[in-house]
Amino acid sequence: MSYVKAMLAALLLLSGSLVAEIAIIVHPGNNASVDQSELNRLFLGRGNSFSDGSRATPLNLAEGVPAREHFDTQVLNRSSAQLKAYWSRLVFTGKGTPPAEHPNAAAMKAAVAADPSAIGYISASDVDDSIKVVATF
Amino acid sequence: MKKSILAISLMSVLCSGVASANLHINGFASIKGGMSTGSDKSLYGYTNEWDFKNESLFAIQVRSDLGDRLSVTAQLMGRGSNDFDARFEWAFLSYELTDNMTFNAGRLRTPFYIYSEFMDVGYAYEWSRVPRSVYGLGFDNIEGVSLYRTDQLGQFDSTLQLVYGSFDGEAGFGPTQLQNLAGLSWQLGQDWYSFRAAYFSAKVTIDTLALNPLLDGLAGAGLGALVREMNFDDDKGTFFGLGLTVDRENLIAVAEYNKVDVSGSLFAKRTNYFVSVGYRINEYTPFISYESVDRKAKSDIYQPFLPVLPSPGLRELVVGTIESQAAKTNTVNLGLRYDFHPSAAFKAQYSSEKNKISDQRNDALVVGVDIVF
Repeated sequence: MSYVKAMLAALLLLSGSLVAEIAIIVHPGNNASVDQSELNRLFLGRGNSFSDGSRATPLNLAEGVPAREHFDTQVLNRSSAQLKAYWSRLVFTGKGTPPAEHPNAAAMKAAVAADPSAIGYISASDVDDSIKVVATF
Repeated sequence: MKKSILAISLMSVLCSGVASANLHINGFASIKGGMSTGSDKSLYGYTNEWDFKNESLFAIQVRSDLGDRLSVTAQLMGRGSNDFDARFEWAFLSYELTDNMTFNAGRLRTPFYIYSEFMDVGYAYEWSRVPRSVYGLGFDNIEGVSLYRTDQLGQFDSTLQLVYGSFDGEAGFGPTQLQNLAGLSWQLGQDWYSFRAAYFSAKVTIDTLALNPLLDGLAGAGLGALVREMNFDDDKGTFFGLGLTVDRENLIAVAEYNKVDVSGSLFAKRTNYFVSVGYRINEYTPFISYESVDRKAKSDIYQPFLPVLPSPGLRELVVGTIESQAAKTNTVNLGLRYDFHPSAAFKAQYSSEKNKISDQRNDALVVGVDIVF
């Protein structure tokens, strides 16, 4: 029995860097579901509503926060430089502004807990019951 | 005159709004130095002496959200080639009709090409400059209105732009007026690729300063019919463009093709295209591109008139003027983008253009930094 537990613990440790490092979070009252392609639409300014039609406000962590980098590369599949170039195309044509940025997980949680339309992400270890997790990556 | 009134009224809207409105200020800049490799090889304004001014530019963009779906955007740009004299590159009001439809009015960038609207923002692409062979219409902005609409069509993202307006300025031949400029661009794509088509037409009137003595002479000789075939007097100009972009994993590929004509004028029929391929290796993106320009002179304009042209000298002048509109060049570009900083990219590019009519080769080597802030 303890042998199996040890095995599981070892597996979890080994795969720790691969599983559920960031949690996609929304207001606790938000019942929308999101998948990766929808996150792409929302965070690249291609769409502005959840699957149920209600308005969505995407929120970013600041550049340099590890969860931001993880989100950019694992969820949006783009490097930070690529995303900056992408947004410069929209900003300088007056067609869009990138998601507002929050400096850390605490500020992100506070913003999401206060806004029923907000969608953001934090490191999974920062999750608490002030917000609701809709996906992990 | 109209432009400065527009600029002043937009500035006053912007300034009066500072206290209350939601103001976004962004900027971009390019600092570039370059030269050609020989005294007889001038290209893109570079000679064989280092020049840091020619393609450098600074721009500030201010966007003010006035609430209730109304916003105003103005971009002030100073180009080194114009001694950094700042002027409004564009300035327009936007009104969000619905979540996916925006109406714009003012001075707008005409969406002729894929990169039209951010062609000055070097940071937004790999090259040192957009391919001149294809982006060479001679003017980029109009005064008018546009409707911008985005849709989700099944798996595709659709972007449609309808434009109507006019242009009054310099576009190569002399003082130019384009009236009833109307058209559309439509882009359809998925995450990693997109197709684009654009069509525009306008009534073109140009005061061709250098040609006027010849045209006056022909009119005086009773050859008004020939003058009408040569000059730009309310003639129909058309632009048709196609584009393709691919951005998959580390591969970036872009191709564009366009055809331009002004019927009833000596404007040579233009067919231009380029193909560019780049590959991202972490912060480095080497690329190679090939551009082609083909301008076919309208020889059929003068042929029926050859027997009636009064003198061999005049005949030569008419034939020479029309034939000199022809051009045929190929350009190869080799370059590298290096993202050395989160907001800045270093670029180096070597361009070699072969003029297939004169058999002359021109080139330019340019290095520089593109920044967004």
